Amino acid sequence: MLYLVLALSSGVVGGLIIALMPNVINHLRKYIVLLFSTSGMLFSWKVASLVFAGESVRLSCEVGGMGFCIDPDPLGAIFGLIASTLWLFTAVYSFGYMDEKHKQRTYYTFFLMSLSMTLGVAFSGNLLALYLFYELLTFSTYPLVIHERSSEAVKAGAKYILYSLSGAGAILIAVVITYSWSGKLDFTGGPIFAGFTGAGFNWLLALFIVGFGVKAAIMPLHRWLPAAMVAPTPVSALLHAVAVVYSGVFGILRVIYSVFGHELVRQLRISRVLPWIAAFTILAGIIIATRQDILKRRLAYQTVSHLSYILLGAFTLQEWGLAGAIMHMISYSTLKITLFFCAGIIAEQTGETKIDGMSGIGWLLPKTMAAFSVATMGMIGMMPLNTFWGKYYLMKGSVAGGKWPLALVLIGSGIINAICFVPVIINSFKGERSMQNYEQGGKVNLMLAPTVFLVVTALIIGIFPGLVWPGVQAVINCFY
Amino acid sequence: MISSITTNLPVFVVIAPLFVAFILTTFARRIRLVEGFVIFIEVLGLTGAGILAVNVFIKNIPIIYQMGGWSAPWGIELKIGNLSAFFLLVVAFVSVPVSLFAVNNLSDEVGGKERVTRFYVLYLLLGGAMAGMAVTNDLFNVFVLVEVATLSCCGLVSSRNRPQAAEAAFTYLIMATLGSTLVLGGIGFIYIITGHLNMGFAYEELNRIWQNSPHVVWMAFSFMLVGFGVKSALFPLHIWLPDAHSAAPSPASAILSGVAVKGYLICLLKILYRVFGHTLMQEFAVHRILVLAGTVAIIAGSILALTQVELKRRLAFSTVAQVGYIILGMGLVNIKGLTGTLFYLASHAVIKSTLFLAAGAIIAATGKKNINELAGIGRKMPITMAAFTIGSLGLTGIPLFSGFIGKWNLILGSLESGNIIPIAVIIVGSVLCAAYLFPIVRVAYFEPAPEEDWKDPGFTQKIALIMLASAVVILGIIPGPFLELAERAAAELLMLR
Amino acid sequence: MSILLEKLIINYPYSIAVVLFIIGALTVLTRSSLFKKLLGINIMETAVFLIFIAAGNIRGGTEPILSEGNPGTVYINPLPSALMLTGIVVSVSVTAFALALIIRLHRTYGTTDANCIAQMRKEVIDR
Repeated sequence: MLYLVLALSSGVVGGLIIALMPNVINHLRKYIVLLFSTSGMLFSWKVASLVFAGESVRLSCEVGGMGFCIDPDPLGAIFGLIASTLWLFTAVYSFGYMDEKHKQRTYYTFFLMSLSMTLGVAFSGNLLALYLFYELLTFSTYPLVIHERSSEAVKAGAKYILYSLSGAGAILIAVVITYSWSGKLDFTGGPIFAGFTGAGFNWLLALFIVGFGVKAAIMPLHRWLPAAMVAPTPVSALLHAVAVVYSGVFGILRVIYSVFGHELVRQLRISRVLPWIAAFTILAGIIIATRQDILKRRLAYQTVSHLSYILLGAFTLQEWGLAGAIMHMISYSTLKITLFFCAGIIAEQTGETKIDGMSGIGWLLPKTMAAFSVATMGMIGMMPLNTFWGKYYLMKGSVAGGKWPLALVLIGSGIINAICFVPVIINSFKGERSMQNYEQGGKVNLMLAPTVFLVVTALIIGIFPGLVWPGVQAVINCFY
Repeated sequence: MISSITTNLPVFVVIAPLFVAFILTTFARRIRLVEGFVIFIEVLGLTGAGILAVNVFIKNIPIIYQMGGWSAPWGIELKIGNLSAFFLLVVAFVSVPVSLFAVNNLSDEVGGKERVTRFYVLYLLLGGAMAGMAVTNDLFNVFVLVEVATLSCCGLVSSRNRPQAAEAAFTYLIMATLGSTLVLGGIGFIYIITGHLNMGFAYEELNRIWQNSPHVVWMAFSFMLVGFGVKSALFPLHIWLPDAHSAAPSPASAILSGVAVKGYLICLLKILYRVFGHTLMQEFAVHRILVLAGTVAIIAGSILALTQVELKRRLAFSTVAQVGYIILGMGLVNIKGLTGTLFYLASHAVIKSTLFLAAGAIIAATGKKNINELAGIGRKMPITMAAFTIGSLGLTGIPLFSGFIGKWNLILGSLESGNIIPIAVIIVGSVLCAAYLFPIVRVAYFEPAPEEDWKDPGFTQKIALIMLASAVVILGIIPGPFLELAERAAAELLMLR
Repeated sequence: MSILLEKLIINYPYSIAVVLFIIGALTVLTRSSLFKKLLGINIMETAVFLIFIAAGNIRGGTEPILSEGNPGTVYINPLPSALMLTGIVVSVSVTAFALALIIRLHRTYGTTDANCIAQMRKEVIDR
């Protein structure tokens, strides 16, 4: 239990220290961020290992007359691992990207606090704790979205809060209804609604999915995400490609498996529509991506598309579907962050944000574009990247669920991903080799190192999927 | 001596502020003494309220006190049950920080020493009237207290030296008197058919004979609803509120928005549930009217708040919206709903006072009234802005703050009574509340501050703000006995005990 | 229809009270002079007082003072009158307060007409 507390508090404590640090020791800031990100990661790994070993790590308290409970299970542990590990990488990247930028104190404060909030969502053991950390996550990421303080950033922030709070409101109603119908809110000991039936559950499930779907960027609730790309690249990479949006996806996974239970969902009529909603988002997202000129926005729509891969896996209600969803969660996150990191390096070193202007950039930033190419291959779902396995299991799950057109959707989306990004890569390597090398200097190294590391990790997991398979297996065993 | 105080404590809680109010004018010159006396009386009131509340909570039987020894139905009866204890605590608790805030702060807003003393006179009168509204069990007593409260509220509104104050006070006076007249009419109708002014006796008689004269009962309902609706700023009878609450000095706005409006709502609650009873209410579909009115008020008030540029007017319209929540809750005739109503009432009293006091501190320090002029205040006046942020978070209904528990119970109550639209409206109201409060927080913290010498207000003001802000958080985290008190009060109102 | 008229005439205090109430309400709402608004409020309050006092009246009753007469005397109900004394006092206080406010407004704006005051306020704001 101690590890749980330490893991959750690393971010908040670190954030507070940075917020209150006197100005004279500003140069120590990076070390403190590094320290607390690392500690967050290490303690999350410890908690995860305890959970996978079968031990129960629980922390519950009565606050405000209602019980809040932190109790990670394998699903939560995996999310926590993904989040905290990638947080460390993003921290290192931030050191390079945010060098000499303004408002670093605010940035790092809320950067660390959001870590705690995400871990809170991941490790939450009942609906109230999930809701609480979900709301707090919105508020702790808001200052990061409006970081640039431009009018565009402020508008994006307003949209972000509006969408998120409305979604959270829907979730609150759904939580109250859950409490009123079942009397319990805990995730342990089987689904909350085990053994219940009724038509009203269709509406309740719809309410939950709309509520969490805002953060999970299901269309048409995704509109805040492209707008939020005005944030600094590390924020877009980590939060809006991994942490915040994964909270939404995680929420939906929790609803289907821990609140309703897949047997109940199977009986509901709405479960027949859900995979198609996910399929629509997959295709529509990536198609809209092809029409975007700003690289970050193109990546944002690709995010929208790929998040629904995970949701598709969940909505098939099959074991293989869930396995594919979890695999995709793990693999997609590493590669998406890589793509965003590359976009950030390009923007920082050359000032280009639009794809039109990126011809020949590959020669200026060879390592960056190499990482970008490998990551794009992963997005398409090709061997030997780790996303291949995720897609494979997703397709297996679709077929097992009797919905083989979904497998076609996945293949089609892979093709459209290729159409979307391969020309960008080819364009960037046009022209001849240049003698300039923009990839020199400590700042770029700080940005490149995590990028390359992540690509290598993805390759390793792709070649040896057995490394992550036990975790996936544990999640499936938990729910099936 | 002690025993005579304790037996007469219910009446002392009401009379002591009234009595002290009139003494204050005799030493008007010595402001320190005046302020000290006021705070002393407020703290005494809080102690008294606390003693009564603990008494009622532990023994679980209401304290019945007969004025002058005349027993009901000939005399005026004070009945301190769970509801009265609850509201007494709210009134007493909110008055203390507000009067602390007013120390040293009033002269620039109100004027010279005598004017400050007169302000305190009216303030104590209002406090006494509110305490009376909490404990009374007699209909005409309600009218008298309502009038005392109205006049002192108008006086507080007009205490500033500006012409807007006089205008706002006049409009308020006219409309409030209109409301009082209607309330008196309603009381008249109840008296005519039942022959009783005591709430308990009137209830029994009414439930026996209402079928003989349903029209009169209907008239009584309507007069009461509209009368109290005008006084508690129920949309669309809220017209006087924005002008009045923004023209008043900040401690006055805090107590007006936070406590005065609630007092009238408590009176309405008592009359609806103790005199008419929930069966009669449902017979005449009054509960549906309340739910509908509340829903409209929430949406209208929140949208109107969004359009305001002046900080205090925005907070005033927010009050209109929050009154909608309470009226909505009144229409939910079940325990969870009424518990939520009462808890929301208490939570809003504390939160609104915090917001108005913080706003007052900001306006006094910077001289700026509009929201878009408040850039960077978060860094210059940290404690003030922190209190404001805590208040905003509480009002929006974030878990861990007091507003959440109220909203949770309200949603549960709506579910139980089968009203689906109010549930959506409650959430939409929260989102709109965030929409009109968070830009202020954002501008204050995230915009660069001009090079001005703005500072946090003085020591007593800081204490007041910290007290109120911590109350918001503490109520949200450990509502324990307070929530229990509210639940018992709800059961009491529904006559389930 | 004739029954209605008959009832209205028999219960003449109440009918008059209703008429007074409406007159008062209309005065408050439609007249622009502050004095007239105040008078409207007074008339409305008087209407309500009338309802109460008429309710207390019993036909054929004598004034409610105990005397050495026969024990079967019917006294009219003294309670509403007593309550309305309180009400009248309240009404007087409200009138006094409102008059003071009108004087203050007159000092600032030079007029006691609500529309003119609103006009002047708008001009100030526009400036």
